[in-house]
Amino acid sequence: MPDLHIFKAQVGMFDPVALIDHNVCIYCVQNRYYRRVDFFEAIPPFQCIDLGAMAAFGIGARTNIANLEMANNEFGLFRWYPIDDAQIRLYHPSGVAKHQLRNLQVPVDMNILFRDPNLVSTEIAVWENQRPAAEAINGHAFALGGVRLIALGYRFHTVDLESGKFANPELVEALKARKEPSTPVWCSGRAMGD
Amino acid sequence: MLLANKEGTIVTGPVVNLVAAGVAGSLVVFTIPVLAAQLIGVKSVKIHKVHLFNNAAGNTSVLIGNGAAGVGVPVLLPALASMNNLEDIYDNMPEVESFANIVAWPAALLAGGTIDIQLEVVVIG
Repeated sequence: MPDLHIFKAQVGMFDPVALIDHNVCIYCVQNRYYRRVDFFEAIPPFQCIDLGAMAAFGIGARTNIANLEMANNEFGLFRWYPIDDAQIRLYHPSGVAKHQLRNLQVPVDMNILFRDPNLVSTEIAVWENQRPAAEAINGHAFALGGVRLIALGYRFHTVDLESGKFANPELVEALKARKEPSTPVWCSGRAMGD
Repeated sequence: MLLANKEGTIVTGPVVNLVAAGVAGSLVVFTIPVLAAQLIGVKSVKIHKVHLFNNAAGNTSVLIGNGAAGVGVPVLLPALASMNNLEDIYDNMPEVESFANIVAWPAALLAGGTIDIQLEVVVIG
């Protein structure tokens, strides 16, 4: 099995977290879903949201990034960066802070492009319509015309191993017991102290 | 779109019209970003480019410092020449870093003359 995992870093583009016919375990808040990837494709860099114009020293409203939602049975793996000079706080899902330390929620700004050129530290996964949300902070003494985020990554279509046509209870038990390999994919943040 | 270079984000300040000579006439030409929401992450800037346009102010020079408006000093760079009715663009300057707002003022002005100035800076932090 290839050495695939989230946050895998290399020069240039990043690796998919699973290949076709690989088993994955989707973690979404407190839920786990055992699935098998049956198709995946790359998603080229695209503008996933414009958080809108920001007044000088302004803090924008938390906004859902609906363009990162996936279709049923699919999850997305994304890295992202802003192209306007605001700090971005990410939430995934909307109520759970991402990049959270005990005393600080670490923001992402344009400096990510040269401090972490592979964007490995921005990697997130999105399960179906469980999309992230973002807030922008303009530290400048001038207004910003917009705060745009660029995302890129992969789209994975999966089949359900726990029920339905592709159900395989024996395999699911083996996956739960770690007797068969599956790649864990965290598709949300995690609340502090949870 | 703004650009990121090897050490920081390049942004431009506003076009500021300098109307009074001497440090007393100094005006803020770039305001240091303040991370009001984060409360951490001190920012500083390095001047990347200076664009001057002389509006019938005579052959003079412009000084750049990081004291407050009306105070001017200390200066950050040697005086930049500004020729009557011409533009002057300066880049590849010493990478002087400032943690305070940047101000500028003309050394002298002919009566009724002004100088427009705009800065491009690298924001670090």
